[in-house]
Amino acid sequence: MKKEDPLLEVSKLTLDYHLGARQMRALDRISFQLEKGEIMGVAGESGCGKSTLGLAIIKLLPKIANIRRGEILFKGRDLLKISENEMNQKIRGQKISMIFQNPQNALNPVFTIEKQMTDILRVQEKYKNREPRSSRYFREQAIERLKSTGIADPQARLSNYPFEFSGGMKQRVMIGMALSSGTSLLLADEATTALDVTIEAQINRLIADLAAEYGTSVLYISHNLGVLAELADRIMIMYAGRIFEMGATADLFDSPYHPYSAALLESLPSQQTRGKRLLSIPGFVPPLDQLPKGCSFHPRCPFAEDICKKEVPPLEQVTSGHFSACFLDRKRGRQKWQWI
Amino acid sequence: MNTTPSKIISNQMSLTPRWTETVSMAFRSIVKVKGGLLGAVFISIMLLCALCAQWISPHDPDAQNILQRFAGPGFAHLFGTDYLGRDIFSRIIYGCRIAVLVAFGSVTLSSVVGVFLGVIAGYNEGKKFDYFIIWLFDIVRSFPQIILALAIVAVLGPSLVNVVVALAFTAFPFYGRIARAQTLSVKEADYVKAAEAMGQKPLTIISKHITPNIMAPVIVCLGMDMATMVIWESGLSFLGLGVRPPTASWGIMLRNGYKYIQVSPWMILWPALAIAFAMIAFSLFSEGLRVALDPKERNR
Amino acid sequence: MLKYILKRVLWVIPTLIGVLIILFSLTYMLPGDPASAMLGPRATPELVEELNSRLHLDENMPVRLGYYLLGIAKGDLGTSVWSGYKVSSLISSALPHTALLAVCSLGISAVIGVFLGAFGAIRQNSPISRIVTIVSLLGVAVPDFVAALLLMLLFCVKFPILPAIGAGTEGGIGDIALHLILPATALGIGWVGYLSRLTRESMVDVLEADYIRTAKAFAIPQRSIAYVYALKNAIIPTITVIGLGVGKLLGGAVFVEIIFSRPGLGKLIVDAVYARDFPVVQGGILVATVLFVLANLLADISYGFVNPQIQYD
Repeated sequence: MKKEDPLLEVSKLTLDYHLGARQMRALDRISFQLEKGEIMGVAGESGCGKSTLGLAIIKLLPKIANIRRGEILFKGRDLLKISENEMNQKIRGQKISMIFQNPQNALNPVFTIEKQMTDILRVQEKYKNREPRSSRYFREQAIERLKSTGIADPQARLSNYPFEFSGGMKQRVMIGMALSSGTSLLLADEATTALDVTIEAQINRLIADLAAEYGTSVLYISHNLGVLAELADRIMIMYAGRIFEMGATADLFDSPYHPYSAALLESLPSQQTRGKRLLSIPGFVPPLDQLPKGCSFHPRCPFAEDICKKEVPPLEQVTSGHFSACFLDRKRGRQKWQWI
Repeated sequence: MNTTPSKIISNQMSLTPRWTETVSMAFRSIVKVKGGLLGAVFISIMLLCALCAQWISPHDPDAQNILQRFAGPGFAHLFGTDYLGRDIFSRIIYGCRIAVLVAFGSVTLSSVVGVFLGVIAGYNEGKKFDYFIIWLFDIVRSFPQIILALAIVAVLGPSLVNVVVALAFTAFPFYGRIARAQTLSVKEADYVKAAEAMGQKPLTIISKHITPNIMAPVIVCLGMDMATMVIWESGLSFLGLGVRPPTASWGIMLRNGYKYIQVSPWMILWPALAIAFAMIAFSLFSEGLRVALDPKERNR
Repeated sequence: MLKYILKRVLWVIPTLIGVLIILFSLTYMLPGDPASAMLGPRATPELVEELNSRLHLDENMPVRLGYYLLGIAKGDLGTSVWSGYKVSSLISSALPHTALLAVCSLGISAVIGVFLGAFGAIRQNSPISRIVTIVSLLGVAVPDFVAALLLMLLFCVKFPILPAIGAGTEGGIGDIALHLILPATALGIGWVGYLSRLTRESMVDVLEADYIRTAKAFAIPQRSIAYVYALKNAIIPTITVIGLGVGKLLGGAVFVEIIFSRPGLGKLIVDAVYARDFPVVQGGILVATVLFVLANLLADISYGFVNPQIQYD
């Protein structure tokens, strides 16, 4: 049986930010694949390049970003070689959508929800070169979209301004804009971070349900491993612009290969850690233009050996479908990292 | 060892964009921060002219010379002479005095009165006194500023002091509103609450804890207002409702220039340039102040 | 929204009463005997007495204030001391000139300023962005009455191609427009500079906002992002400024009308000040102030429409 081509295949994506005379590597040889309908969680502390990855895929990087090499194959085509025009006409908002971290500012404050939603639907129609439709059609489409996200009384809510919605409701509106049956890939950048825990769970449920319904793949970026555990099929752990570990969620949670992943898991509250002190990793993520030589994690890693300070560990497959970038993991096998 | 010439060149090539970037960044920061410095230098020049007018100016600003009327710029008279044969350069220098006096005088007067009223009103938020002060501010702000100043000078009679008073009167509500709004936010701060809890008197709290902490936006406003005051002083003097002739004021010089516009362009051009110089000086300075005092701007 | 508008409108009433009190007390503060001050040194005692009783100057202050307010309430702004004309008729013949000047210079400079600023923000480091910098510097450095003098020097004396004085009312619409060019330019140039800089600054901020990124992520075309999504946000601070600007404009009109001898409200007031014709001064200032108050009211209300999130305090 021939395996289906992956929906998204990122290979060796390397990207720099230029800030004045400073140059920093925000993404370093990022390679991964995303299957159709799969939910991939991207985790890591802030400043590790998670958001940059999302913006790179939908090609909305700030001007100071400079892609050095690599490719982003989406349905077999390299997005990096697609013109801005084609990106707008065929990809953005239709095939690939993105929802952002802060729903407070993600919607335009001076326009009604109706205007913002129908505008999007209207340009998409236009790009598809279809017959012009009436505004009533778009209005009904917008109502449908809102309804699918569980917003009560969508007809009435359409004429509201964003400030009349709560944070969770705004994120529902965003999801309604982003997800439809045609969406192949959803990039969710810390989509629920700014929300209350109960609302967060509801919104995540909504994303998962809609993605399953439409067969949409999701790249779910979050610093919260607990959320990813419930949501994601696979998880990618990033640190300072590199992938440290990637594997099936259960596998990775059960026995992480990389000490950094282990530390992240140790810092999660759970049944096992009940009554114990949670781990907090000493130190902080280094600024991207001051990365240490060798493995960028070694100054914070209690297990570091000489080789870690000299060479960069490559990302290698350790067991089937499970990748890790550490010199020590293979030596230790599946033995637990004793952080505490 | 392996630093072959071609390698050196290629290294330098890779450095080139960084160099230009550094230069352009440096240039931008000069414009942003040093612009304020430039403004300060310009203002110092004006202050120097104002203080040392009698030593700097080559001629007596009021000495008339009927034989030398309407002279163009030359060696004897750097900027030329006016309709009475007076030396324009000397009059411009002396005009600095009036400009500086009015700018500093009226801005000081209006900001002191405005901040005083605004802080007290803000501290007594919601009380009758507060409403009265807001009402007062709104009344004065209702008038087009220069027209109110004009009316006041018309009533009090044209003189330097009256111009300062009139201009200060039109401007104090603006300081008052800034001070009041700032006080409303500062008054909720923990250090004010702590002082209140310790039983300090309202007057102490206002003078020691509130006033020092609301001054940043007031100071920014001061700089911009000085420019406005210079304009209005010359405007009033231009209308003959400001400083009395024969005092050398840029506005009066413009007034004379307007009368003789057909005869000599210099009588208008020089005072216009002097006003432009003062405007640029004050606005560069206040822009620099704004950037320096605004934490959001500082990090840019 | 309605409550906000109503509150804002009602607040105008006490403010205007205060304005009237100030205007009244200004004349009351006139040094010496107001009648002889108005009539000058050559006034005969009979003339003084006649004026005193005509203006109720022989009564005490509250009574005079009462007469004054009563007159205003009846729409009577008094009579010119010199010409004997009704102040209201003097004003109504002067006002159109000022209104035309103000509307033209503010309207045109607002449109030019906002678009220059928006362009300058969208294409940073472009020639247009540089023009914005130069014009705003010029607007700062050359105040309106100095601009008026320089324009007159250039286009009426050196190259006499434009009319120097009057409003051109005898010559029909073309002549009126011709007479409007220099005064409107003098008044407007500062505004173009100021508004373009203001719009550019707020536009630059807005273009970096999250909701602009959202619009990009949903493939809204670049042009509608800039001129619809961003501009409506960026224009909010500009609108408040335009309301305040009417006051500055009326002030600037005083000088420009004097310089170009336009028979407008500003010239009426200043000429009345020269002639010590205080009823005319009072009436003129009152009308200018009411116009300014109304303009601010309008600006505040339209601000409420542009910015749905306005604080209803």
